[in-house]
Amino acid sequence: MKHNRLVNILFLAPTVFAFLMIIIVPFFFGIYYSLTDWNGVSPNVNFIGIRNFAKLVSAPDFLHSFLITMTFTVINVVLVNVVSFFLSLLVTSELRFRNFYRAGFFVPYLIGGIVLGYIWQFIFNSIFVEMGSSLAIGILKVSFLSRPETVIWAMSAVNTWQYAGYIMLIYVASIQSIPASLMEAAQVDGAGFFRRVFNILIPMMANAFTISLFLTLTTSFKQFDTNFTLTNGGPATRFLEAPVKASQLLAMNIFNTATANRMAEAQAKAVVLFVALVVVALIQVSINKKQEVEM
Amino acid sequence: MEIRVSRRICYMKKAFVVFVLAAVLVAGAFAGGGQETTQAAAADTSVSMFQLKVEIKDALDGYAALYSNATPGVTVSIETLGGGGDYGGAMKAKAQGDQMPDIFQIEGMGGYEIWKDYIADLSGEPWVNDTDLELIVDGRVVGFPVAIEGYGLAYNADILARAGIDPASLTTRDAYESAFQTLEAKKAELGIDAPVSMAASLAGGMWWVAGQHNLAAYWGGGLDFTDTSVIEAALQGKMDEPRFREYAQYVQLLFKYADQAILLNGSYDDQVGSFAQGRTAFLHQGNWVDPNLAQLGVTFKIGYAPHAFLNTPQEGLYLFAPSWYVVNNQSPNAEAAKDFLAAMATTAQGHNYMVKEAGMIPAFKSVTLAPSGQLSQALMAANARGGNYGVFFGMLPDGAGQNVFGPIYDLFAQNPDDLEQFVSDMKTAIAGLPNM
Repeated sequence: MKHNRLVNILFLAPTVFAFLMIIIVPFFFGIYYSLTDWNGVSPNVNFIGIRNFAKLVSAPDFLHSFLITMTFTVINVVLVNVVSFFLSLLVTSELRFRNFYRAGFFVPYLIGGIVLGYIWQFIFNSIFVEMGSSLAIGILKVSFLSRPETVIWAMSAVNTWQYAGYIMLIYVASIQSIPASLMEAAQVDGAGFFRRVFNILIPMMANAFTISLFLTLTTSFKQFDTNFTLTNGGPATRFLEAPVKASQLLAMNIFNTATANRMAEAQAKAVVLFVALVVVALIQVSINKKQEVEM
Repeated sequence: MEIRVSRRICYMKKAFVVFVLAAVLVAGAFAGGGQETTQAAAADTSVSMFQLKVEIKDALDGYAALYSNATPGVTVSIETLGGGGDYGGAMKAKAQGDQMPDIFQIEGMGGYEIWKDYIADLSGEPWVNDTDLELIVDGRVVGFPVAIEGYGLAYNADILARAGIDPASLTTRDAYESAFQTLEAKKAELGIDAPVSMAASLAGGMWWVAGQHNLAAYWGGGLDFTDTSVIEAALQGKMDEPRFREYAQYVQLLFKYADQAILLNGSYDDQVGSFAQGRTAFLHQGNWVDPNLAQLGVTFKIGYAPHAFLNTPQEGLYLFAPSWYVVNNQSPNAEAAKDFLAAMATTAQGHNYMVKEAGMIPAFKSVTLAPSGQLSQALMAANARGGNYGVFFGMLPDGAGQNVFGPIYDLFAQNPDDLEQFVSDMKTAIAGLPNM
């Protein structure tokens, strides 16, 4: 039966309409507002060109947030993918109870970021500190969350704990899709475990790496919920002579700017985040794509 | 063939119906708000109120129902969003969606600047002469004070008595220093962790205790109740350095004698809990902790000592209206909304609601009921005694406390020995205020 164009259009219309109204229109409105002095309410919207963007270049808090977001992304992408890759090797081996582990590693992903942030805040601030003082372990005596130099690592650890199980599933699916004959042939030819992993498994999993790296990259860049409940941006640190919040990632910086009724400035920051994310993600995907092999 | 065609037509019809339905629904969602209110207004005046004090939600709902029953033709409905909720964001959504409430709440000049196009003149209202804390802008009364809140340094009278410290003597910084030293020396004997329960961390979300309430001592401490000269100068970028240095030494004192875990990391619950359990002798919080203390089963006697940061005696507490109700001037129900507020301030039922049900200290002098919390009683006594100090952080640009002063206090708490750095950071921050 030939598709009727009118039917196609009618069926598409509601979703296209919603997509337009919720994504496309606000996107262009957002770009427009980033060029104004709008406070979120006032009917007077004055066009001020790129003044909001010019201000960002010399704002220590924004620069620090940008830098720390980049750092967090690098740490996080590496940690999550390395951990989840090892987990996937583990649960696809001949291990007993591997299905139980598979489910177990995935469970943290099902806990909301807000709840998770509070739970880990308690673990870092109370349990670790208590352990530190009762067992006399110096490094635990001061919470990792109240030290500017460790707070990003603590956040990455929590994020890895949450996210590694999810990425693990992608790797598991990819490992299972590799023909068993390939691995068996290599084994018969005398290739050891590591040789099989590095010369067969990893090249064959290239498309899974593309997806996983993209997912971890974008979620790290946009990280907000765990940031908000786990550290709330604290503690303070000094950057370019100015006191700034050591763990305030970009998304939270935007949020705090917006809640201070500086909507246009927040919007300008959001545009910068968007551009940076698109550029970094495109570079990552194009590099990864080159590694992929066709079956 | 015949059947197929008709089925196809049938699909098309259904698709069309679905599309039309969707379009109608969407159109309805956009246009609905405005129409509904006008229809309701024709039959019965319905006053909508949107407020952010979660802790008084039940009390206020109850009073609104009472008022609606007693006033024929008027129904007051209350919507509450606060605590962790984004009240400001929700208000903006309401404004964009043409669903502005008739009465809403602002927290100072920052809020006034945002919403001034919607805020009615309340100068002629009967309660205006009964209060000192109404919000006045350009000579017009625009805000109804929701309550009096206030603070000093709350103390555990039992611990001070056992340590041999007379709370009445705490009127200078030197007196505080020696009291803290005494407590520090007798820590084991008194069973306390530290003399002071103070919070200043960004991580615990407690920047406001230091960057807003404590800093208010610099803006208004020791001055006349309405003297805003220090903060006016700050808004021009100027810091009164000798005065600030005195103040900074007081902050240093509080930080050094504070429980370090609470100071650097603690949440509100940690801070209040420590004091309630008798593990600290002083608490830097306002009378809003009364319900928390009652919940935690506090039986010891509590009072307020002043934040005396100078070495000339200061005896007043810090009193303020933390927020104001304002009336939407573009609403057809503005008059009914004003009547509702007036009834709250002037009738016995309204007084009963504010004091007994909501547990607030009303900002109206004609109220004779007394609140039950110990700190609230201390504030009410101080209010009657006079000689208190105003709290002016509401005059600062939005976000100054959280994004500018918050990190500075957090850094000072991490390293309280570096007074010079704190002073110079604050000097830079104040110099930047005019550009915010």
